[in-house]
Amino acid sequence: MRTRLVPTLLFALGVLFLFFPILIVAPMSFSGDRFLGFPPKSWGLVWYEAYFSDPVWLAATWRSLRVATLAGLIATLSGTAGVVGLARLPRRWRAGVTGLLLAPAIVPNVIVALGVFVLALRFGSTDSEATLMLAHAAIGLPFVVMIVGAAYRQTDPTLEKAARVFGAGPLRAFWTATVPPLAPAILAAFIFAFFVSFDELVIALFLMGGSETLPVRIWNDLRFEINPTIAAISTFFVVVTALAMGLAETLRIRATRRQGNS
Amino acid sequence: MRFAHRLTLVPAVLLALAMFAVPVAFVFSEAVFTPEFSLAHFERFFSRAAYLSVYRNTLVVSAAVASICLAVGYPMALFIVGQPAGRRPLLLFLVLVPLWMSILVRTYAWMVVLGREGIVNGALQWLGLTDEPLTLMFTTGAVYVAMVQILLPIMVVTCYSAMTEIDPGLVRAARVCGASPFAAFRKVFLPLSLEGAVTGWSVIFILSMGFFIVPALVGGRRDVLLGNMIVNQVGQANWGFAGALAIVLLVSTIVLLGLVRLVAGRFLYSPREA
Repeated sequence: MRTRLVPTLLFALGVLFLFFPILIVAPMSFSGDRFLGFPPKSWGLVWYEAYFSDPVWLAATWRSLRVATLAGLIATLSGTAGVVGLARLPRRWRAGVTGLLLAPAIVPNVIVALGVFVLALRFGSTDSEATLMLAHAAIGLPFVVMIVGAAYRQTDPTLEKAARVFGAGPLRAFWTATVPPLAPAILAAFIFAFFVSFDELVIALFLMGGSETLPVRIWNDLRFEINPTIAAISTFFVVVTALAMGLAETLRIRATRRQGNS
Repeated sequence: MRFAHRLTLVPAVLLALAMFAVPVAFVFSEAVFTPEFSLAHFERFFSRAAYLSVYRNTLVVSAAVASICLAVGYPMALFIVGQPAGRRPLLLFLVLVPLWMSILVRTYAWMVVLGREGIVNGALQWLGLTDEPLTLMFTTGAVYVAMVQILLPIMVVTCYSAMTEIDPGLVRAARVCGASPFAAFRKVFLPLSLEGAVTGWSVIFILSMGFFIVPALVGGRRDVLLGNMIVNQVGQANWGFAGALAIVLLVSTIVLLGLVRLVAGRFLYSPREA
């Protein structure tokens, strides 16, 4: 076979372009210099120390983790239950309800953020982690419905019927026959929904006033100075995110593949 | 029994209504009823040159970013599809990894790369190509580079999944019937993959229309997009005007995508309907 050198090189260039930012930021985070410069003149973990010892950065990180975990759980539970309900809906209702559940993925977050904020002002529920969490759950919902929905359509409905024939109640039949094959997709959906929240800036920016989430903290910091601490935080979270998303993607692919073969 | 099953929809629907549909509807009412019923906010928007130029800029940047992503992403997807099946997941994985980095982090990286003391300037000076650092940050070019880097993986994935649905037997049949490789590509593969390309373009256009982080951090004063204007108006507590901007953003996106579908529909095969 001919080796097609030129296309391969061009593709590699494209991939290099995609990786360029992180290839730069990761080494810089290990710089021992006082100011950003490339390449760094000395090496060290100064910026990681700065991050892990700063109560403001840590508080923002914990807040984000807390909100993202609960938002992810709410989106995953309600979304998975919703997928089951959608399949049983009469056809003429299904399109509309599916549209409602998927729409937050298409409408820019800045519009949702504006609405949630103005509404929260009326109810005096701004600066509340509960409001933020629910808003994040709503924008994570489309991803859960898409991921779990795709896996659910491939499950075998006769399994659940068989369980019912053998005397299981509807809930028990659902839990023991339908849920297990969906588990990888549900976990993948949770990880996606978690990161939708963990990454989200604008809703938190409008809503949260003094209690910053991690993206809001980074945003406020970036607007005034380019601080190398952010290089350390970024690298740390890129590694964590890559691991988690790698896991989610593997689970999702395996879930669809296994059921596709059966 | 069937009714009980449908009840499982309640939490999801309540969530989508309370935290999405009602708030968005509220934005609309805010835009026309603040302080009292009028279209004054829209008149203000459409009668000032400064606002209109932001509007035009948003449409131009979104369409251009989507087109650049298509021009780069389609060949990248084509390359992956042309590889042996065993190697494809790894190549796709390489393209997808950058997608998992937060947009803020990637924008920050471009700030580091393109700054006066950044790597690009360092390299140019080291090579002796320039004596003075070039102004790369706070330019329209920087906005394009960062936005394309952020959105490109989505285009590659969308094109790729459309391309894997194409029956390779069709291209082979064209070749057997005497078509040159290029003719087989242009007459068979390209039209079949066009639907994926149009979808990818539309998705990136939608996402670009709502961007505000990138222009705010790496763009100059003239690179303000509608998203930035909304954020600024909220900062000044002008809910009504912010709401009007949100409606303009949403309606323009929907109308433009409708037009794209309409135009594309005339040229597309629709394998599912055939």
